[in-house]
Amino acid sequence: MIRLGDGGPVGRVVATEALPAGPHQFHFWTATATPVGIGAIVRVDEEAGRTVYAVVVDGRAYSDLATPLHEVVAAEGDPAGTRAPTRRTEVRLWTAAVLRHVPEEPVQPVPLAEVRLATDEDVEAALRMDAYVRSEQPSAIPVGVYRAGGLTAPVSLDAEFLLGPESAHLNINGVSGLATKTSAVEFILASIFQRLPMQKGTVAAVCFNVKGPDLCFLDQPGELADADRELYAALGIEPRPFDRVHYYAPFKVDGVNLNTLRSHPDLLGSVQPLVWGLREVLNFHEVLLNRDDIDAKADAFLDFLADRVVEREFRDEWGNTHRVRSFADLERLFRCIFDGLEQAGRSDVWRTHHVATIRKVRNRLLNISTRCKGLVTDDGTVSDLPFGQLEDRAVYVLDVAGMDQLGQDLVFTRVVSMLREHLERGDLGVEHVIVFVDELNKYAPSDGPETYVKKMLLDISERGRYLGLVLFAAQQFRSQVHRRIVGNAGTVVFGRMDMDELATPGYQVLSPATKIKLATLPKGELMVRHPHFTQPVFVRFPRPPVLSGPVGLKQFPPAADLPFEEAVVRQLAALDRRVSSARIKDSIAGRREDDVRRALLATKRTRPEDVVGFFMASLGPAVSREPIGRGESVARPLRSVEDPYAT
Amino acid sequence: MLRVGGTVSAGVPLSHAAPSVTSPFGSASYVEGDRIRALEVGDAAVPPTELAFLDGIQRYAVEGRIGLVPVVRGYVAAAVLRRVRETLQAVESRSEEFVLAPFERLTSQQRAELEGVGLPLYDCPAAERSHPILDVRLAAKEVETKREVLELEIARRYLEAEPAGWLVVDGALTALSEVLEMSPKVLGLIKSHETQFLDGRDLEVALTLPAAHRTSVFARAVGEHGRVYTWYLRLWPWEEHDLLYGLVRVERAPTDATVDEATAVSRWLLAERAPLAARDGRWDRLIYPIQQVETYLRAQAGGWW
Ligand SMILES: Nc1ncnc2c1ncn2[C@@H]1O[C@H](COP(=O)(O)OP(=O)(O)OP(=O)(O)O)[C@@H](O)[C@H]1O
Ligand SMILES: [Mg+2]
Repeated sequence: MIRLGDGGPVGRVVATEALPAGPHQFHFWTATATPVGIGAIVRVDEEAGRTVYAVVVDGRAYSDLATPLHEVVAAEGDPAGTRAPTRRTEVRLWTAAVLRHVPEEPVQPVPLAEVRLATDEDVEAALRMDAYVRSEQPSAIPVGVYRAGGLTAPVSLDAEFLLGPESAHLNINGVSGLATKTSAVEFILASIFQRLPMQKGTVAAVCFNVKGPDLCFLDQPGELADADRELYAALGIEPRPFDRVHYYAPFKVDGVNLNTLRSHPDLLGSVQPLVWGLREVLNFHEVLLNRDDIDAKADAFLDFLADRVVEREFRDEWGNTHRVRSFADLERLFRCIFDGLEQAGRSDVWRTHHVATIRKVRNRLLNISTRCKGLVTDDGTVSDLPFGQLEDRAVYVLDVAGMDQLGQDLVFTRVVSMLREHLERGDLGVEHVIVFVDELNKYAPSDGPETYVKKMLLDISERGRYLGLVLFAAQQFRSQVHRRIVGNAGTVVFGRMDMDELATPGYQVLSPATKIKLATLPKGELMVRHPHFTQPVFVRFPRPPVLSGPVGLKQFPPAADLPFEEAVVRQLAALDRRVSSARIKDSIAGRREDDVRRALLATKRTRPEDVVGFFMASLGPAVSREPIGRGESVARPLRSVEDPYAT
Repeated sequence: MLRVGGTVSAGVPLSHAAPSVTSPFGSASYVEGDRIRALEVGDAAVPPTELAFLDGIQRYAVEGRIGLVPVVRGYVAAAVLRRVRETLQAVESRSEEFVLAPFERLTSQQRAELEGVGLPLYDCPAAERSHPILDVRLAAKEVETKREVLELEIARRYLEAEPAGWLVVDGALTALSEVLEMSPKVLGLIKSHETQFLDGRDLEVALTLPAAHRTSVFARAVGEHGRVYTWYLRLWPWEEHDLLYGLVRVERAPTDATVDEATAVSRWLLAERAPLAARDGRWDRLIYPIQQVETYLRAQAGGWW
């Protein structure tokens, strides 16, 4: 009766005075058995050569029953009574929203003609993809396949509108676990890396891993079903993991075990420590110091430290010379100031800064070094992303999942600011960088104070597209994210949605049937909004070509934290399997832990041929043997001094 | 009312006398027993699977006058819908549009002009003397005859294709008596009771049948020599309405089988009360499949509705 995908009519446009056909919306009926469903793309042809493409947004079925009472009467009040010998005539009435008119002008009501299911080419035309899929310089990034009535048509995004400069950014929403948000971003990144044409330039991705093992195995192949492989084939993408992935993670509090779930011995070698010093932190002190309680006075003092003290020779009034490189150096300076002021008697002011301000700033800064211990070192060594030498089609994963919010904010702000500065100067190493932030609602909530992080995100969302700084962000509830940040995303993707969220004002434009479809969307299906698409379209995408976090943890269980010496041995062994445990332990026995850390960091950064030789050389000859208490914190706040702001 | 053994009616207020009835009385003879009795038919039963429904429609309009002579445009259509697994499907359908005028009142030139309009032109009777209403009524009668001819043709075609199936026709079998010889399974379902064939106590039994009862089968004359067997059947209780509420009359070929099967046929006709043909005011007597044939024909007629 109804043959699928053969191009035969599946329905007819109907128009009545109450339900007229307009230029943007119309209604059509189909048989009760029909391949048409919500999200199906259809075409209507007028004999005069006009074609209208549309997407089905609503559907209704009803019979000629005027009131339910008539059924009751006919059954004589007994629902179990004799079954009626004739089924009432039933109509399937669909509402479709117009995607495109060909020709585009003049815009007229949809002709009252036959309705057909769209073919591959129709889908291309309907979504205006022809302009970038078939053009001389194609810029199509496959995002998934559209499916209806046995037909599979690839749907692509336009790189010009995904990575700039026309528009940029991608925002993905949906409930936890079912919306496949993280998976979708992983897949789209793979698609961009494989399909972004050379003439569109180079691209790298910087991903913040904020949740457990989520992005810890991007370089490992994941398990795919046959259906996934078919989707990859249909989209022209190879299902292989990313071949250039660089991992960065801060240390744990012990300063030697890395704070990441990617700590299996087979993988640990590829994780670089993320270690910053005082300078890196001080430049972003705005993030760390809660805006609410940092006033102009504290700001001025921080500027003074940054400009006049850090990494300079600085003489205080009491005859000491300071060269502040680390938090430990800074603490020494503060002690000198407080001691000096105390001895001098009643003065409350040092170089125009009130002692209360100085004390407040000190406590804040040292608090940072405590809370971000593992990221922030005391000794001035730094291990950082290779800003300036980012590689084309490489992924840089910053594993901040184990850090507290303050540390995450710091990493995020500094990394993004650095990317931005380098892009502005054109010396990042790549022309586009995609910054992937999961759980955007944590960084840019719709309510709450105007934090530095939020302002920065807003700035990227507004100006990033000109710079090649592209934000891919995910969150469960769009309504909980700053409106302008999500509003500036050119491409918006929805996975399975929460009904309550769909009831919020941001979703009013969607038809009730579309909302219900969104609330029941199966895993692997997404609704995509993109500047070229007049209406959102539903697509299916394959599982990402990488190992998922939970499965990765099973395959590569994280190693337990080791005692200091063991940890050093393991990290060196990850660089070179021939490393002898006894020899390393011997050489570090009795050495200051900080010195060992520095040597380890240098070795990891350099990745020399001769791992042991380099490590030994960095360690230097064993001279001082001062006993130092292990794990002693430098940042010991002065309890004796009252600081109302101490946290 | 009840005290004197009467029945309460709906009591709907009206203003005009009922329209005049053209043939109020007909003749009948007993077939099942020697008087008319009310027989309980029992519960509704599942209708036969091979079952189809026939109906026809007619429309006419006075398009103009040549002198006093009316020129009438007519439209007739008929269709058979067969029920397959609870769904009705059109299996036969025909329609015709034409122009009618009494040729005897036209000059040959006028007739030639009318022939030129592009629709078939047919003759129709006219009143003895010119009469603006009577002339049109005669033309309308002719339209009705054309519908009956079409219905007959459709019925014949259907029965040739499906000789074993039942065919339920809307209305009396008067014009279809020819097909009764083709199939014993043709039923006429009459919902208007202008012509009364019974009299006296028999009539009272028939018109006061309780719900789910039928009368005994009797015969009525068709044309000069023919006859059909027929019985009344009450589909819905008439109490609180009026005598004719829910009352249908069934016609079938004059054979013994008709008498033997009258109860069985009545039972499955009771099943046809559902679904209710409630979009039509006559739903107490109109079964849904027949209404669907009419809906189908009207949809086909397009501009005529
Ligand atoms: N294309 C796909 N088809 C079918 N299932 C998929 C697909 N992509 C991912 N999944 C499955 O869906 C599950 C959830 O995926 P994912 O972790 O990406 O969701 P999420 O929306 O990011 O969840 P959360 O909000 O908890 O981070 C995974 O177990 C994964 O196996
Ligand atoms: Mg996720």
